[in-house]
Amino acid sequence: MQDGVATRRSIAPRARRAAGVGLRLPHLTEVATSAPPAAWFEVHPENFLANPHAMELLHAIAGRYAISVHTVGVSIGSAGGIDRVHLARLRQFVLDLDPILVSGHLAWSTHEDAYLNDLLPLPYDDETLRLVATQLHLVQDAIGRPYLVENPSSYVGVGTSTMTEVEFLAELARRTDCLLLCDVSNVFLSGHNMGYDPYRYIDRFPAAAVGELHLGGFVREADEGAPGDEILIDSHSTVIAEPVWQLYAHAVRRFGPAPTLIEWDNDIPPLSTLLAEATRADTVSARALMGQAV
Amino acid sequence: MSSLADVQAAVRQSLITNDVEAVKALLAGGADPARRFAIHQRHYQTSLVNAILGKFPATVWLVGSDAVADAARAYVRVSPPERPCIAEYGDTFPAFLARHERAPALPCLESFAELEWLAGQVSIAVDRPRMAWPAVASMGIAGLLRARLRLQPGLRYLRASWAIDGLMSAYLTDSVPARFVLDQTDRYLEIRGARGALHIGSLGAATYTFRSALFGRRPLGEAAEAALGADEAFDAGRELMELVAAGLVTAVGR
Repeated sequence: MQDGVATRRSIAPRARRAAGVGLRLPHLTEVATSAPPAAWFEVHPENFLANPHAMELLHAIAGRYAISVHTVGVSIGSAGGIDRVHLARLRQFVLDLDPILVSGHLAWSTHEDAYLNDLLPLPYDDETLRLVATQLHLVQDAIGRPYLVENPSSYVGVGTSTMTEVEFLAELARRTDCLLLCDVSNVFLSGHNMGYDPYRYIDRFPAAAVGELHLGGFVREADEGAPGDEILIDSHSTVIAEPVWQLYAHAVRRFGPAPTLIEWDNDIPPLSTLLAEATRADTVSARALMGQAV
Repeated sequence: MSSLADVQAAVRQSLITNDVEAVKALLAGGADPARRFAIHQRHYQTSLVNAILGKFPATVWLVGSDAVADAARAYVRVSPPERPCIAEYGDTFPAFLARHERAPALPCLESFAELEWLAGQVSIAVDRPRMAWPAVASMGIAGLLRARLRLQPGLRYLRASWAIDGLMSAYLTDSVPARFVLDQTDRYLEIRGARGALHIGSLGAATYTFRSALFGRRPLGEAAEAALGADEAFDAGRELMELVAAGLVTAVGR
């Protein structure tokens, strides 16, 4: 495995500088038949592995667009080990599509025979670090390329953590040569929910390992445990909030240009709405890199 | 201090049973971490219940969303997904629904929901290249009798005791009359689909026996014998030719 910086350089020529958008099943036929002006698409393999028709359309799309693969099923933090059956399916998916990026979350979703369909929090301590590092090596060996680990959206943590999330990610990248996916929206909402400064989080994030950025919408709910307060829910169901665009500009200034994805998974709007958000990301990124206000 | 395995076992239990007590002491964040954990509990339940509802719209139409959602909430507690592909989740829901204490006492409910599940499965299939008759016939009679045929992936077979195919057809074509009489009669259904298309056909008992046995990868000779048990006039050669002509055979092997 190459070191993080060298690997990122090797990806760069294929990844588009322009922002990409998440490709979900409702838009699949439209994209396959009308060739919209998207820079690249990101897909969740779990939406395609059991859907041959969708997979057929995706193959056609992959012939015209760069594809990024973002798995929600690998569960690199599961204490009981990685689901090897799913990893084998992911490996074949990656071999078939030859994506520009492969990524997943710093979280766990699988326990013994159950897939819990959520990205659940991990304690940030030495035991978890050893486990995730070991399993990350397995994943990277299986897919034959670097795996980008994404910072999660957090509502609650595990009280026994002995290090911060950024410290954990930085050490994970150092031990495994993985790359990091900085979800700027997750930084913003987790900072709000868990009580830390998102700008400080970005400032301490290991910039050399950053291979991709994510942006997604969130919704506000009353925090039932703290009357009068709000909690931010990572719903991926709305446009990106203005404060997140500001944080994104800060991240671009700090990390430099990186492939950026617009995520939208619920209440999915017309594709044109996603493409408009991607255009805005390009504008914000360009202005940030030129030192202009956004 | 709890190990990671202990923490995850407790979180799994709390998530599925909607009981936060087991993890309360482990959590941190916000003024009341246990209430924050309810976001994960809610997501687990809502996302999976919605997934079930999305797979069974005809069943919802038949018995109402409250009945199906109530059963789905119970189902996700006792039968969590085993794999990350949620498209594969729900195959045992028809039987669960039919036995759920708050489900309507509708005798055809399980088979109707099963038909809907199978229809959903075949409609996302992709046809494989069909075999032509000369290639099949080249195996000779002795070879064919021992052969196992591979049929199109977008095929399923279902035997029902009610005319559920008529009811499903009425739903799919939005042509439900004011009063629908559901006949209690044996139905031998072939559900065929690919790339979003769907056809539900009714077969004779012997043809159903023959084709479903072949689909289950029984040797052609055994499938023919089983069909003769249903109808002693069954003509296996003619039936095989029809199967091939319909483009349903994709490979012949041992």
